[in-house]
Amino acid sequence: MRRYPRTRAFRACLAACLCSALLPATLRAASDEVPRLTFAQLVDSIRADSELTQSIKSYSGKEIEIHGFIVPAGPPDLSFFMLSRVSALGNYCCEVPVGQDETVFVFAAKAVKLLYDPLRVYKVRGVFEAGMSSDPANGSSLFRVRQARVEEAVGAPIFKVGETPPAAAAKP
Amino acid sequence: MTILTVAIKYLRGRLLASVLTTVSIALGVGLVIASILVSRGIKEGFVAGATDYNLVVGAKGSPTQLVLAVVFRMDIATPNIEYTVYEELKDDPRIDVAVPVMVGDAYQGFRYVATNSAYFAVFPWRRRMYSLSSGRFFRDDPVDSPAYEAVLGAEAAGGTGLRLGDRFYEGEEMADHPLTVVGILRPTHSADDRAIFISLSSFWGMNELAHGMVIKPLTAVLVRPKRLSDITGLHRERNVAAETQAVLPSGVLLTIFNMMAVAQEALNMILVIVGVIVLIYVFVAMYSATLERRREIATMRALGARRATVLAIVLVESGTLAVAGGIGGILAGHAAAYLAAAMLAARSGLVSQPFQFDAVQPAVLAIVILLGALAGLLPAVLAYRTEVAENLAPLS
Repeated sequence: MRRYPRTRAFRACLAACLCSALLPATLRAASDEVPRLTFAQLVDSIRADSELTQSIKSYSGKEIEIHGFIVPAGPPDLSFFMLSRVSALGNYCCEVPVGQDETVFVFAAKAVKLLYDPLRVYKVRGVFEAGMSSDPANGSSLFRVRQARVEEAVGAPIFKVGETPPAAAAKP
Repeated sequence: MTILTVAIKYLRGRLLASVLTTVSIALGVGLVIASILVSRGIKEGFVAGATDYNLVVGAKGSPTQLVLAVVFRMDIATPNIEYTVYEELKDDPRIDVAVPVMVGDAYQGFRYVATNSAYFAVFPWRRRMYSLSSGRFFRDDPVDSPAYEAVLGAEAAGGTGLRLGDRFYEGEEMADHPLTVVGILRPTHSADDRAIFISLSSFWGMNELAHGMVIKPLTAVLVRPKRLSDITGLHRERNVAAETQAVLPSGVLLTIFNMMAVAQEALNMILVIVGVIVLIYVFVAMYSATLERRREIATMRALGARRATVLAIVLVESGTLAVAGGIGGILAGHAAAYLAAAMLAARSGLVSQPFQFDAVQPAVLAIVILLGALAGLLPAVLAYRTEVAENLAPLS
């Protein structure tokens, strides 16, 4: 009879330990649930009259993730740069240079500290904006990501026009 | 007497050793601070001096050489391209502004930069504005009748001593066409401060080879497209062409920063080794000082001083040395960074700010005090454990 409370206390302690061990992973998993947009989705979102579809506009103001190559079109502190499906230095590649539909203006939350590699894919997370906009410093753009955080996307595939990522395909 | 007073008296008692220990700490800290400020200053100097144009089109070769020569004037100019490249780019409907640039020789070390009035024009996307402290800009004179007028950057004017209306030339071949100073620019905190700007016609007129050419030469064309998304297309077109290359200046600078990061990592390792050596030196100094005065410590203990007081005295001693060395090192580091910044500005036109105070200085000082106290910990424990009876025994 005396043992029972001890067993309960042990179980409670064990449960607390497991919770505290799993909590960071759970939180991380929750924070990872940011919708990932692809350049294919961006291209598909442009209608014949240059308007954007409601589905891409629905991401406006929300945090999203997008992968692509950095085109350092702004200052060298990368506070502003373009993210593109195709590398800026792909002279020897068969890819055709992209236009406005496959270019995202990225405004970093703070000066970006990373080893820049023109042939490496980077992961950008920030607040998405869709729709034509123009500012004096950088001109016009269709898609923008503000308050962006940038990091290398290790082993990330780049989806081309016509391809759909598994995550997007699973969505209704 | 307080613990601090006793500790300072002990330090003054062995003044030479205390000063040498402080100087060694100051040298180590100064080295760390100077290396942080100089590397940061170089990077910020490159960022501040970067061009507002998104593409630089020049001859095939090294992209780094092209950007360093045309934007920062740190390297020899790349081979020439034909003026027709500029005309093609100027007429391209995708391009907002194209500016021709010819980088030439130097007058008293200040490079000639030949361009047209668009170089100084105001655009909504420009961060850097050009204004005159005196005089006027040179005119876009026709090729067959160059005006031989010059506009000096602020440092070029200061360095050469030239004033408005002065006529100058360097070298016999230029004696036929002396340049006249018509304007002096306000400081732009970039390599342009060290440039002597002249018109393209004046440059071609002064240069015997260019004078005889039907299609005139250029070093590069600075390009700003109407839509930034056209950069990749323009970049590709110019790079697949046989004679030209297009370079993103920010991309080149980021590559330079990558190389600097590798050098910085190697330097950091050296700095860590220097830190360890200084730490060992402080430890040895404090340890030998404690060994030397075990008799004094025993006397203090016999007169009623507690073990904790003795421990605190030694820790305060090493802490005081660390504070003095840390502050001295921070000041020395800033002085060294200032000298390095002045040298960089004079040699390369890179402008950096060596007197930036932020979280680095307090963090370095805190680490130095902590390490200083750590170096004094073992000697302090030795003092703490000093046996009174054993150390007050007659010496002979």
